[in-house]
Amino acid sequence: MPALLGYRWSVRQVALLEAWLARELVGSRAALPPASPRPRGYWRAGQSVLADAAFWRQQAYLFYRATAGWALGVAWTTVIAVAGYVIFLPAYYGPTHPQVVTWRVDRLSEAFAVVPLGAVLLLVWAAFTQLFARASRELASGLLGTGATGPTVDLRRRRRALAVHAGAYGLLALVLVAIWALTSPGYFWPEWALLSLGLPLAVHGWVELVESRPRLRRRFGATEALAIHAGVSAAVAIFLVLVWALTTRAYFWPVWALLGLAAALAVHVGAVLRGRGTRIERLEETRAGAVDAQDTQLRRIERDLHDGAQARLVALGMSLGMAEQRLGDDPEAARALVAEARAGLGEALRELRDLARGIHPPILSDRGLEAAIGALGARSPLPVDVEADVPERPAPGVETAAYFVAAESLANAAKHSGATSVRVRIERRGDLLAVEVEDNGLGGADPDGNGLRGLRRRVEALDGTFTVTSPAGGPTVVLAELPCAW
Amino acid sequence: MRVVIAEDLALLRDGLERLLRDNGFDVVASVADGDALVHKTVSERPDLAIVDIRLPPTFRDEGVRAALELRRRVPETAILVVSQYVEHTYATELLAAADSGGVGYLLKDRIMDVGDFVEAVRRVASGGTALDPEVVAQLITRRRNRGPFDRLTPRELEVLGLMAEGRSNAGIAAALVISIGAVEKHVARIFGKLRLPPAEGDHRRVLAVLAYLQQQPAPL
Repeated sequence: MPALLGYRWSVRQVALLEAWLARELVGSRAALPPASPRPRGYWRAGQSVLADAAFWRQQAYLFYRATAGWALGVAWTTVIAVAGYVIFLPAYYGPTHPQVVTWRVDRLSEAFAVVPLGAVLLLVWAAFTQLFARASRELASGLLGTGATGPTVDLRRRRRALAVHAGAYGLLALVLVAIWALTSPGYFWPEWALLSLGLPLAVHGWVELVESRPRLRRRFGATEALAIHAGVSAAVAIFLVLVWALTTRAYFWPVWALLGLAAALAVHVGAVLRGRGTRIERLEETRAGAVDAQDTQLRRIERDLHDGAQARLVALGMSLGMAEQRLGDDPEAARALVAEARAGLGEALRELRDLARGIHPPILSDRGLEAAIGALGARSPLPVDVEADVPERPAPGVETAAYFVAAESLANAAKHSGATSVRVRIERRGDLLAVEVEDNGLGGADPDGNGLRGLRRRVEALDGTFTVTSPAGGPTVVLAELPCAW
Repeated sequence: MRVVIAEDLALLRDGLERLLRDNGFDVVASVADGDALVHKTVSERPDLAIVDIRLPPTFRDEGVRAALELRRRVPETAILVVSQYVEHTYATELLAAADSGGVGYLLKDRIMDVGDFVEAVRRVASGGTALDPEVVAQLITRRRNRGPFDRLTPRELEVLGLMAEGRSNAGIAAALVISIGAVEKHVARIFGKLRLPPAEGDHRRVLAVLAYLQQQPAPL
């Protein structure tokens, strides 16, 4: 178990280095999600490692870098050497009399005629490396820069990245086969590059498939981590067997690696099956929390009605009754009582309106989340920057929960944080709706305070996640991610 | 003055009709939904349409949509939108559609103050503006203590609020029980402090003040 934890730690360190390299060299925006916390107990810690989707993605990426990097290095040396050889052919065609396919180069004019071939080869190579850099950038953003909770890079870009990756693979295959055909037909050496580059392509395609088809995955009862784990294991197994088939074919050495992969997968499947049990427990807990929260809210509404509007209406009735009595003998006093009654009625209406807004703000059902949060921002005493990217309206329950996360967080920022500005971001992240409220205040918010606990219950009842980060000195970031069938 | 009313709750529709008739208005039609409102307004060409925001069939913001459509099709009819709640988003949309005035947006609560309400109805019908004090308060809250705003005296803040509601100098003078000359002085000082260009006419003045209030306040 310590070895597994240590292994995850080192994968994370190398992934951090890779993310930095990807940012520096190919301009990726990859930034690693925070490390997931380690639960107590060896067995649980081990299971949490296996169930950590970010860990699997990091491994997939490192694996891709190792194999693709190696193959690319070989290909790079070969291409540069061949191109250099062809371009400088006029200098030494004499003694060697090289053969280009079936054509022997004997004269200077022939040697010069071959030079553009070298230039074309270099150009094609340059285009290919650019494609490869783009693929690496997208891959780094996609695989390293994603939290365990869902992809942040939008799906269209990721699909394009996969297409670029596949295209780059096809192009490289063409170039290598062409070089092989032009130089030394015989032993088919490109098989190694194609095999080792094919593996990361297969893994990449699998990861995309798993993430873009959450419903398919759920039907098989697998978590995202398990699906990626199984796919990567299968790809590695096929790779090892193919390597074995291409080489000695004597002693079946991959058997040990295959047994190890199978054992790890079996442990993971066990963990997911057990986790389903705990998930049901958690569901019961969050449902109880939601029922509690609803009950508390209904009590509050009852109390507000009882002490507020109802009491005012009683007082108003009394004023009107007295006015009726005095209408004949003291019209001036009656007029004062009626005026008083009208003022009381105004107050009652205002209270009822506030109460209604607290149950469900009208503009939310009228115009949706973006407009409602915009209106919240406009009503806040702090300058609020709202960034919303919600092309379709989510389910009403999700919309209301998202609204109240923003409303409560904005109210907290205005009341307690000492902030001078707040930013609210609502966006679709895969099949999640994310609401993030960040202020520039002093931090130190208590996540177990009344308001935040209510929000957590509300979000968890919808199977979402709710996190509050508020270090002393700030800033405070409230993030709710709500699953949402679009 | 000829008026059309669109309100789906019969209790409120009849009450409003009676109140307006008592105060000398000619209610030419009372309808219960947005389509009927557009239809009646196009055929009757009243001076004013009073529209509730929540109307059938969806009970969302039909009233606002119907008002915007009326503005496009019958620009000479003034529009007063009334509702149980106010959102400054709707106020902004209504005012943006009504560059020439003749627009109002009030809470239904205001109807209880009959004198004030009737005054607002006449003002809107004759091309003025009536914006609910609560919308104005929403806009003012967020600018409090920021920028040149904190140099306004409490009295000047009151005058600014009444200007934003669409009242004329005479109306402001009556509400604050001061002379029209005093109001003019306050107004000049407010425009100076907020560096607003002088505006001709009450409606232009409302637009200038609201444009100022709607700017995102700078962080402290």
